[in-house]
This record gives sequence, structure tokens and C-alpha cells, in this order.
Amino acid sequence: MADVAPLAPGATPVEAPPPVRGGRLGLHGSEFWAALAFLIPNFSGFLLFTAGPVLFSLVVSFTNWSLIREEPTQFIGFANFAQMFGDTEFWLYFLNTGYLMLGMPLSIAGSLFLALLLSQKLRGLVVYRTIFYLPSFTAGVALLILWKALYNPDFGPINALLDPLLRGLFGPDAQAPTWLLSTKNLLGLHVEEVRLTWEQFGLGARDAIIFMGIWTAIGGANMLLYLAGISNIPQELFEAAQIDGAGPWATFRHVTWPQLAPTTFFIIVMSFIGGLQGGFEQARVLTSGGPSGTTTTLAYCIYTKAFEEFQIGYASAVSWVLFVIIAIVTLVNWKYGSRETVDG
Amino acid sequence: MKWVFAALLLVMGLLCIPAQRGLHDPIPPGKTRLVWITDDNPVRKQQIELFNQLHPHIDLKIDPTNAGMEKVIVQSLAGVGPDLFDCYNGFQLEAYVRAGIAADITQDMLDLGIDVGKIIWPAVAVTNITGGRVYGFPGNAAADAIFYNKDIFDRMGIPYPGRQMTWDELVAVAQRLTVRDENGRATQFGFLTDWWKWQDLAMMWGARMFSDDGTRCIIDSPEAIAAVECLHSLIYKHKVMPSPVEEASASQGGWGSGTIAFFNGGKGAMAFGGRWWLCTLRDNKDLRLGVTLAPFGPGRVYRGYGRSTLVSANTKHRKEALEFMAHLAGPAYNQLINDQADAVGPVAKYCAGERFLHNPEYPEETYNDLWAEAMDLGVPDEVSPYVNGNLANRILGKQLDLVKNDQKSPADALKAAAAEINEQIDAARGVGIARGEGSARGERTARADGTGGGA
Amino acid sequence: MVELHRATARAHRREEWWFRTGRFIASHALLLVLAVTMMIPFLWMVFASFKPLPEIESLRFLPEKWQPENYGQVFEQIRFARYYFNSIFIAAWVTILQTLTSAMAAFAFARLRWPGRDTVFKLYLATLMIPGVVTMIPNYTLMVKLGLLDSYAGLIVPASFSAFGTFLLRQFMLGIPRALDEAAAIDGAGHWRTFWEVILPLARPGLVTLAIFTFMGNYGSFFWPLVLIKSDALRTLPIGMLYFDSVYGRQTNLIMAASVMNITPLILLFVSTQKYLVKGIQLGAVKG
Repeated sequence: MADVAPLAPGATPVEAPPPVRGGRLGLHGSEFWAALAFLIPNFSGFLLFTAGPVLFSLVVSFTNWSLIREEPTQFIGFANFAQMFGDTEFWLYFLNTGYLMLGMPLSIAGSLFLALLLSQKLRGLVVYRTIFYLPSFTAGVALLILWKALYNPDFGPINALLDPLLRGLFGPDAQAPTWLLSTKNLLGLHVEEVRLTWEQFGLGARDAIIFMGIWTAIGGANMLLYLAGISNIPQELFEAAQIDGAGPWATFRHVTWPQLAPTTFFIIVMSFIGGLQGGFEQARVLTSGGPSGTTTTLAYCIYTKAFEEFQIGYASAVSWVLFVIIAIVTLVNWKYGSRETVDG
Repeated sequence: MKWVFAALLLVMGLLCIPAQRGLHDPIPPGKTRLVWITDDNPVRKQQIELFNQLHPHIDLKIDPTNAGMEKVIVQSLAGVGPDLFDCYNGFQLEAYVRAGIAADITQDMLDLGIDVGKIIWPAVAVTNITGGRVYGFPGNAAADAIFYNKDIFDRMGIPYPGRQMTWDELVAVAQRLTVRDENGRATQFGFLTDWWKWQDLAMMWGARMFSDDGTRCIIDSPEAIAAVECLHSLIYKHKVMPSPVEEASASQGGWGSGTIAFFNGGKGAMAFGGRWWLCTLRDNKDLRLGVTLAPFGPGRVYRGYGRSTLVSANTKHRKEALEFMAHLAGPAYNQLINDQADAVGPVAKYCAGERFLHNPEYPEETYNDLWAEAMDLGVPDEVSPYVNGNLANRILGKQLDLVKNDQKSPADALKAAAAEINEQIDAARGVGIARGEGSARGERTARADGTGGGA
Repeated sequence: MVELHRATARAHRREEWWFRTGRFIASHALLLVLAVTMMIPFLWMVFASFKPLPEIESLRFLPEKWQPENYGQVFEQIRFARYYFNSIFIAAWVTILQTLTSAMAAFAFARLRWPGRDTVFKLYLATLMIPGVVTMIPNYTLMVKLGLLDSYAGLIVPASFSAFGTFLLRQFMLGIPRALDEAAAIDGAGHWRTFWEVILPLARPGLVTLAIFTFMGNYGSFFWPLVLIKSDALRTLPIGMLYFDSVYGRQTNLIMAASVMNITPLILLFVSTQKYLVKGIQLGAVKG
């Protein structure tokens, strides 16, 4: 069975059995050229549109390049990086980025749960699947305007539901959150300093974005990936589990979950990458990064630095720091993820 | 599988044929196409028609999708920019000039017999003149006043506000005009203004953004603090203005957002806004309007603003672009702007005379002389050569948001903002000095050249 | 002994029946609740698209006055049909090219053995981590150099190479048993034939999934076209729709009408590819 299970990206793929005597496999050289031929279309695009620009931006991150300066651009060493690390704002944006990723585990678990529900042989699944995937269809602008209306503190449907509920529970003085207008958050992060404060405890713009994110993502790409992953699990494994008398939980624990490990791994890696790069559209359309910068993520910070304040050098430096953070997180994931998959 | 891909590629290939059709808007034969990046204000259409009518050899087209400084700069640097583009404040002008994409047309304008600095409203000169050089011509100019809803005043039996109220009088009237239901939810506000107009108030109180040489941000002065405290008290002490929550609940849907929609919807008795509001308000036949001058602060000035159109340094049609500049300075254009109420025309002398004061199409607008009066008292925003205006605005916006939400006192917020902006200034100057460039732009004063300024 | 065994078997069957029915009801109830939660905002969107503008602010879910003219207005005020075509045309091109190039690269990473493969793959994967804003300015200047500014090619070509797709398909291809390639090799098939005739058909669920993701992603892409496109005729839907949300007014009802029309092709696409996905699920049990 072992050679059927999809492998974790980090694990060495199970190599083919030793070549048949006289066969033409095993010659590294011949497969190398074939591989090159297969890679060329993708690789050329990669060099042109990714590798080149990235190296370019690395060079730029050591300069003071600004679009609105008459003096020639110069190399300024690590000044951009020094400025960034000395700036409280950078760390606040870093925290914001991390905070907005707190919904991730919930969203992934939800996707898995939905996929399990939808992978049963039931009627009407096509309809459900389409409905769950709907939020992923909607173009950014429309979706965001929709949520802006839903979060409206006075007339929005969300508070229309919450208001009476809170009043009933906590008395007439209880107030529903003002959502996108509020700097509060569930960790009590301070607005201007890197510390916690009791005053900021509550629900605010960041939480609103998290809830919206879960709603959008739960039935989206991750659910589809899980569905596809479940469909790739050999049916015999379920049959074997059934013969062994395993209940649904045991089947999940011992068959589905370990078999889905590569999918989960992939989803986690992609969610981390997406989360660390994320928050741009929400900030741009929904909140302009506010109130008081609390929904500004690193990606939005790069955008404002580059395209509103025209400091391309500094923006490139921030991007590279973001890039390194993502790389570290991914490497940690990879190490941990591949071990887990192999053991599972 | 191979055939699936082959078939798909074939289909898509065939679709390229209709796709290529009608891609580029053909330029009418014998005409020169001028591309102008501006916003898509509905009144712009008539403005373009007028120009094209008077200049049959030119085909002026607007390009609203590429508005936004970053696009103008990037496209122009790439050599595919527009012929003309708009500039909304002094910082933008500085940026365009520094980036080398705004053409110096000082001499050309003089050759055309137009002394730009002399004829335009001084309050908008920061958007087209810097360092004594001319880079474009203003399209309009504005200084705000108080709009009031006559029906609300009549209904409540309160006399219309006089030409010159004090802030105390305004607050007293506004309190009487604010109506709340039994839940404490306001159904009508006495006074409306956008929160970012704390800048207007700060100027009216005589506060300055930067020191004369631009090396210090002094927005934490007692005057500025008093001005922001006044605005804050309108929301939280006198409760005559919507709080952020109340404001958000009305900005969904509808034409325009925020204050103007509120006022247009009859939810406010008085509102602080510009003449360009009339472009929207005139359409509302149920609204009986009055306008009066805004109360003076201690500084006895108003904040002036406007929009200039600059000539691109990369344009291939400089001659035609200059014809457009001359058009902006001429009577036909200025009269159109004044008629449309797209604020007031850029040339001061046309904001006078019977046609301006009593437009026969809008006989109920009997207050037009006050626009010119307000413009005379207009002072432009300040710019420091050492700090990026967008960055300064972001810092201020972040702090003032906290005041607006009652999370920080005006004094603390302005102090924090000034400190942060000064840090940026120091960094910019420090780097400059370290590189031996000194303060090449140091002499350029904060209150940009030749703009008057009434403080 | 036999009796006892039969009884337990019966009990077991009954238990199973109960279990199955219970699960059936519970699943449907749960799915229904979740589906309704997901749908409410969309129903709001659909109903809002039929409301007259002033009604948008009201809390009423259904329009008081139905105004289907909103849909006609969308076509009247902007060149909606053209934007529609552009969005689909561009997204379709990107989807085909990306699926093809990704599948080829994934084949090289998953099925071929060559020195340094995993290192190169990790490097490839690393490109996923590059924030899009980083490459925008260099890419923009590149487009200018290549003369692709304000053109379909400028929108299609840079989006056609994806490390994401390569990663996704490599994962799927790793799950296909090695024995199949070898069987093909023994039959004398070269890599090219193995790729087209053995691997791609088996990787169909992956290909379909990638195609859906790619299409959706590019159909709604906003930032790159916003920067790259100048002419009206080349605008895509998300950019065209901005017209209704300018400083001079937000026509929320028209935005909603445009959005409804915007997502319709995607729903159709999704529903039609469902079949393949379901098939993929049935075919998923690759016999080892």
C-alpha cells in the first residue's frame, strides 16, 4: 500500500524498483535532458517574470530609489533595513499581519469538515458544493462592499442581530462592536505600542476581517483541495477499515487524516504564505488600512510605501524582509510537516 | 488529452480575431489626440465638449482610470503617459516636478500673454507654481462655506443664519436644530462636516503645519489643538454632529458619500462644504438651499484648495497642450465652470459681474458674491520639502482617527503626529547632510512661493 | 453458537441502519444550515441589484419596488459586454497556458529523475513566497520594454507561468503509481507519450482543480490590469465596475447588478466542471 499513498513534498518519492536488466531507466543523463525540455516553458517565464524582478528588487532594497527625487539614486547599504527595524510602525504592521492569520486554523478545519460532509454519497451535493464555493467567485470589490454594509454598526444586519442579544445578556448598556471602525481586538493589542492593554480588548476591524476571511475561505480552494485529496484515497483503505470494524472517528483518525496529510501540509503552507502576503485588498477597499493603521498589513504597507509615498527602495526592503519571514515559516512548516507525514 | 489542449488553443486563437477588433479608439482624421488624466466628475463631459468645439483640430479625451499619482508617474516615466494630468495639492506638484514629468511652461505662458501668477486665485497657486516656475494652469478653485437647509429652519421656526456667525452662535443654533428620538438616536443633525476638515479649522485658528523653512512640523501648536478640540466638542460635547458610528450608518449607497449625502438627504440642517457641492445638490429639487460664510476662527482665513492641470514633460503635442492651458485661462472656460458650479473658475476676475452673481438659470442662488469673498481669504495647504505629503497625511490621519473615535485627546494626538513627522524630517535632512547634499531645497519656503497666504 | 452469531450480525445491521439514517439526516441538516449562512449575503446582493438606489440603505431584505432596469443600466452606462468578453478571454488564455506549462514542469519534478531535482523544486516553491508587489515595478518596466503595455498579451503572458500550479500538479502526480510509467516505458513509450497518454489523464482531477483556480483567480484579477491597461476597450470586469463606485457617487444597486452578472459565468463553469470533479472522486482510487 505504501507506494500508492501520495507523498509529502519533502519526503523522497518512492523510487522505482531497481531497473530491469537491460532496461533504459537509471541513466541520469537521459532523464535530465527530458526534464529540461519539460521545464523550459515554465522556467523561461519564471526567469523573466519572477527571478529577474526579484533580484532587481533585492538590489533596489539597498538603494534610496524614490520616484520623486531629482538626485540620482544611490546605494545606501543597510539604511532601509535599519530604518525599518527601528520603526515601531513596522512591528505593529507585523503584528497586524500575524493577528489577521489567527483565523487560519479555524478556516482550515472548517474546510476539512465541509469536504468530509460533501464527500459522502448524498443527493444534492452539487448544489451544496456550489453554494459553499460561491464566496470565492465574487469579485473583490463587490464582496467587500457587501461586507461593509453587513458590518455597518448601526443599520447592518450583523449588529441588528447582535444588539438585542447583547442587551438581553448584559443589560441595556451593552453595546455591539463597531466593527470596521474600532481598533479593539481579542488580544488587546495596543494601537501605538507593541504591548497589550486591557482597554483595547474587544471586537474590532481586525476581527471583522478575520470573520469575513473565514466565511470566504471555508468553502473555497481549501475545501476543493480536500475534496480532491479525499478522492485520491484508495477505496481499499476504507474497506479494510470497515472490515476491521472501525467507526467513523477511527476511520478518520487512522485512514482519512493520515492519507490527507500531504493535502493538509500543502494547505497549511499555502495559507501561511497567503496570510503573510495578505490583507492588501481588504485594506485597500474596506478600511484604507485604518482605523489608525490597525488593519495595515505588511503587504499593504509595501503598497503605500511604494505607490503612495514613492519610496521604492524602502518598500523593496520591506518586501525582502517579508520574503525572508515567509521563507523561514515555510521551512519550519516543511521540516515539521514532512516528518509528520512520514510518521503518520 | 493532447487533443483537448489542441482544440482549446485553436478556439482561443480564433477568438483573438474578434478581440482585436475595436481595440483602439480611432483618432478622427486631421485631428490631434490629447489625453488628459483627470477624475470622471460628470461635469467634465461638458468641459471637454466646449474645448473640442472651440478647437476643431484637437480631439481631447479624458482618461479617468489612470488617475492616481502612482499611475501618472510610472506611466510617464515609462514614456506612455498622458499629455495632460491633474494635480490636487502642493505636495503632488513638488513630486511631479521632482520626478521630472511636469513640463516647465513659464516662458510659453508669458509668450501667450498670460501672466499666470497674477490672474489666478492665490489659494490654488500651490498646485501649478513652485519655485517661481509655472507647470500648468488651475481648473478650478474653492474655499468652503456653510450650506443650510431652509426647510429645516422654517419648520423649526429658527431664523436663517446671518452672513457672519461666530462659532458660539453656530453651536447654539446647531444644538436647537439637532433632533433625537426616544432611543437617543439622532434623526437630524444641526451641523455636518467631514472629519478631515480639522485642517480647515486649524488654518482658521491660525495654526501652521510647518515652520517657515519647512524644517519643523508645528501642528502641535495651541492654535491647532484648540481647533481640533472645537471639532471634537461638536461631536462629543455639544453632540450636534454625527459620531463616527452615526456617520458610517449613512454612507451606504446613494450618490456621494458622507457629509454631502447626509445633507442632501435632509439629515443635517447646516453643512460645511464647497461650491462644487452644488453640482450634486442642484439635482435635488426638494432641497431649498441657503449659503453663508463660515464663522471666522482667530486667524480670519479660510482653507483654499483646487485642482490644476499640468502639461506632461513627455508630451508629443506640446503646442496643443498649451492651447488647452490658454483655454483654461480664457473667459469661455471660466464662465462654464462658474455656471456649472464646479467650484469657481480659476481666474479671479471672472468671479464677478451680473452673470456670476445672478445666474438666470438658478435665480434662487442669490449668495454668489460670498464665494469670491471666501476665495479672497483662501490660504493653501503647506508643504515641507523634507517630508512626503502623503506620508505626513497618513501620520496625521492615523492620530486624528484616534481623536475622532474619542480614544485620544487632541493635544496628545497632535503632539504625537508632529513628533513623528519631525522624525521623518530629521531623517530626510540627516541623510541629505550626510551625503553632502546639504539642504538644496532649504531655501524654498514652506508656504510655497508667490502664493500670498493670509496668515 | 451460530444463532448467536446471526443475532449479533442482525443487531449489527440494525445498528448500522440507524447509524446511516442518523448520519444522513444530521449531514443534511448541517449542510442546509451552513448553506443558508453562506447564501444570505448573496441573496442580499441579488435583491439589492433589483432595488432602486435609495432603498439600499433600508433594512428590508426584499426590494419594495422591483427595478430590473438596473441590469440594462449597467450595459448602458459602461461597455459591460466588452469587459465581460475581456475578462473571460484573458482568464481562459491564462488558464490554458498555465495548466499546460505547470503540468509539464510538474511532470519533470514528479516523474523524472535528475540530479538536483528537489533543490530546484524547493527554489521554485520559494517563488510562491514572493509578495506580488515586489515584482510589480520591474515587471511593469519589462512590459514597456517588450511593448506589451496596454495589450492582451501583457495581461496574459506574465500570468501564464505559475509555481503554484507546478506545486499543485506535482503533488497529484506523485500519487500516481510509478509502475504505470514503467509499463509505458516497457511498451516503448517515450517521456512525451507517457506524459500525454499516461500521466495527464490520471492527473485529471488535479488539472481540473488547477484550471478552476486559475480561471477564478484571473477572472477577478484587479491590480495588474489596473496598472497595465489604459484603453477602455481592454478593461476587465472588476475595473469596469469601479465606474459605479467613484468619488462622484456609489451606485450600489448597479454594482450589485454587475456583480451578479459577473459571477454568473463562474457559477456555470463550476457547475459544469463539477461533473469532472465527481468523476475524479470516483476515479480517485488508483489501483496500486
